[in-house]
Amino acid sequence: MGVTVRIPTPLQKLTDGKSVVACSAANINELVDALEKDYPGMKERLTESGKVRRFINIYVNDEDIRFLNKEATLLKEGDNISIVPAIAGGF
Amino acid sequence: MLIITRADLAKVIDHCIAGLPNEACGILAGRDGRVEKVYCMRNVRPGPASYEMDPEEQFRVLKDVRQVGLTLTGIFHSHTSSPAYPSGIDVQQAYWPGTLFPNYPEAVYVIVSLRDRSRPEARGFRISNGTVTEVDLITA
Repeated sequence: MGVTVRIPTPLQKLTDGKSVVACSAANINELVDALEKDYPGMKERLTESGKVRRFINIYVNDEDIRFLNKEATLLKEGDNISIVPAIAGGF
Repeated sequence: MLIITRADLAKVIDHCIAGLPNEACGILAGRDGRVEKVYCMRNVRPGPASYEMDPEEQFRVLKDVRQVGLTLTGIFHSHTSSPAYPSGIDVQQAYWPGTLFPNYPEAVYVIVSLRDRSRPEARGFRISNGTVTEVDLITA
């Protein structure tokens, strides 16, 4: 499935500065692999032990994958994926 | 430098006070270093020493910011009993996990200390390249 992925600023070093890239993947796991193939280093940035890292949120169109089917969330042609770092902290 | 109107700064501080005893947080949208819109956000990891923006609300707000032609200018949160200075956790969370790549390099991190409840103190910082640099927070 051809999808577009919005890349956050801290990962644009891996995409030669591109903020949006095109990919082909049927689910989020495949998307991570496809990104890794095109932009080495991406998988380690996005996942830990096969799961999306804590404090990294991934959206398919407007839906958080945690409320869909997490890493197994299916993608369809034309989907817009967003990778968004959480905003958190405290003391 | 970050310029914010007195009314907008009051909105930020009011939201932080309303969140007590827990920390509160929000987003400042604007252009050219000037805040034009304050988004008071929900803290989904509420505690006197912790905050995390509601991810869904954050996604929606950042989209709204882009759609109204503004940019993410600042990120604010409160410190309920410590100074208006980024904590170790604040600094760590400002970077992509395991790197020194700032998540939101365009944003000034505004911290509102409510240590002295009668005199809230707001200060602004840039967190990048492994350093914390104070920026002038100008009320106009």
